Amino acid sequence: MSLQPEQTKFAQAVGNADEINELLRRYGVKFGIYKNGVFNEQFFPFDPIPRVISAEDFKGIEKGLVQRVNALNEFLFDIYHEKKIVKDGIVPEDFIYISKGYLAQCEGITPKNRIYSHISGIDLVQGKDGEWYILEDNLRIPSGASYPLIARELTRIAAPEAFTNNDIVDNRNYAKLLKATMEHANCGGIRAILTPGRYNAAYFEHSYLAEHTGSVLVQNDELFVEDNMLYHRTYSGGKTRIGVLYRRIADEYLDPLTFYPDSLIGIPNLMEAYRSGNVGIINAPGNGVADDKGIYYFVPKMIQYYLGEEPILHNAPTYLPFYADDMKYVMDHLEKLVIKDVAEAGGYGVVFGNELSKEKLEEFRKTIIAEPRRFIAQEVIDFLDLPITDNGETVMRKADLRAFVLSGETTKVWASGLTRFSRNPDSFVVNSSQGGGFKDTWVLSR
Amino acid sequence: MKTVSFFFSTKLTFDDYVHDHSFALRIMPLETETQHILTSNLKISPFVTTQQTVDAFGNNVTTGYIKEEHRFLDFELKGKAEVNTEKYRTDYMPCYLYQSEYTLPDENLRTFYNELKETCRAESPSERAKYFCDVLSDMITYEKDVTSTETTASQAFALKKGVCQDFSHILISILRMDGIAARYIAGLAFCDGETHSWIEYWTGEHWEGIDPANNCPGTDDYLVISQGRDFRDCAINRGVMFGTYTKQLQLVRTVMQ
Repeated sequence: MSLQPEQTKFAQAVGNADEINELLRRYGVKFGIYKNGVFNEQFFPFDPIPRVISAEDFKGIEKGLVQRVNALNEFLFDIYHEKKIVKDGIVPEDFIYISKGYLAQCEGITPKNRIYSHISGIDLVQGKDGEWYILEDNLRIPSGASYPLIARELTRIAAPEAFTNNDIVDNRNYAKLLKATMEHANCGGIRAILTPGRYNAAYFEHSYLAEHTGSVLVQNDELFVEDNMLYHRTYSGGKTRIGVLYRRIADEYLDPLTFYPDSLIGIPNLMEAYRSGNVGIINAPGNGVADDKGIYYFVPKMIQYYLGEEPILHNAPTYLPFYADDMKYVMDHLEKLVIKDVAEAGGYGVVFGNELSKEKLEEFRKTIIAEPRRFIAQEVIDFLDLPITDNGETVMRKADLRAFVLSGETTKVWASGLTRFSRNPDSFVVNSSQGGGFKDTWVLSR
Repeated sequence: MKTVSFFFSTKLTFDDYVHDHSFALRIMPLETETQHILTSNLKISPFVTTQQTVDAFGNNVTTGYIKEEHRFLDFELKGKAEVNTEKYRTDYMPCYLYQSEYTLPDENLRTFYNELKETCRAESPSERAKYFCDVLSDMITYEKDVTSTETTASQAFALKKGVCQDFSHILISILRMDGIAARYIAGLAFCDGETHSWIEYWTGEHWEGIDPANNCPGTDDYLVISQGRDFRDCAINRGVMFGTYTKQLQLVRTVMQ
């Protein structure tokens, strides 16, 4: 596929990638990664050719994402309360309770305004037919919003004319949206962003978002729960009440008196303060049950069940070996499917049937039969390649889009997103921990 | 129906001063269909203001935070309750049907269950639970100090020894493999000098108590303090504190009519 003239124009408009990458380096835009037990900060390479989404296309995506996230929030409330969707036989009970993301400790908790997923990162791809497909939902701690933000800031400096010559929706409102979302979940007190520290993969983002939302960036040793309220210890020995905590640490580490007793990065009794409605937690603990790769299959059914609407955005065609019919299909077509281990994240545990040798394929068949609940199988979507610059040349690569959906007073889709691409021409895996890069995502205003 | 008086105390002593001590106690007995708490009085020393919440499993949680340096934490509970096991509890949660951290069977326990299943003629959950309890009672020896609070069902089963907590975990694991929902109970019983543990299984309509360590049904002599998927949900005291210390735990209690 050749480059569309329009995209070439945009690439030229943005100009030299090296200049922007140099600026990104200077600003310290990195993500950390653990490999063989050693922490390395990696530069996340930026590609200057933006992904351009037309106003009309975006309108469709927007409607579909709002619908999806609203249904997922309904689902989370239902699962931690009456479980009607299970009783009505839409989602099999096993899928809820075997999911690692389901936390029995969260039963009966109703967060303020009944919102569980305040910040949802929904990964989509565009097929060659122009249709957008949902790849996965991230409702725990979706990261990545700061990269397109800072890249936009820098490209505006490097190529201001690109933004005067094109009608691009300004995406610099993310912090404002996030702040409003945090305020909506606030139970009375200051806003805080909890980071596990500078050795975390997304530490850059934590500090960036704290600065831009006017929140305090905190680590657990600065926090304590007293009289069932969460407090920030001030340097002078006083305390300030925290009303909403945007935590960037996993559920299991959040409170050593409720979850992993060995957690050194948690806050004792945070869950009791949260249960009592004295502090908001963004996103709600226990959300993992809704973004489980196995539950993904049921999201279109949730939309019908809770909202009485037809899903606007489609899932990639997915099979659950748990069901006999699907198992048969998977066994018959394994060599052309992509198999995902529901327990793995970050591009790990993804196997393409066509890359396996005959022996490996047979071995894998046995694994699936032995543990059908552990896997989902999907058709490989022939998705649209995007142009990237590689050593001065323009080449085509696979790319996805992480859209950010914020649920506050209403559910809003940020008119931007993180477009990630794979470096390797044969790879379909675009996760940043697997060596890809990112682009700016332009949503056109008309 | 029976009226019981209960007394329970725990002393925690530290070798050195500790500070910023957060704790969560699950010690106040539950008010349920089968037990009515007449009086219940908790004293904690050193002085600390506490808060009461109810957790996901219906347990009373007493939380507190001691900022200042201290070397001990004592709590003492005194009260009276009416126990009536002729009535039934129906607070079912589907998570009790699934294995949890302490009850997850290993290959050995799974194989044992698969063989046990073949020998079990009983059909109703009650009869099956009694049968499993009988078999375990013959097979596992009650012995102190061979297991700890960290011991899982699989580990205790491999030892064929343990205390009430271990009996409970093994029986819960087996019942869940058998498709019968079961929950862990921590409480007080007439028969020994420490806190006790037994289990409840779901008959299809209500919970029924059974004490695998004594191989007998739950009676009016059993006072429920907390319940959950396994020991972890029911720990009497969980705490996090700062300082150089070693922790000592001492438990004393009695239940009497």
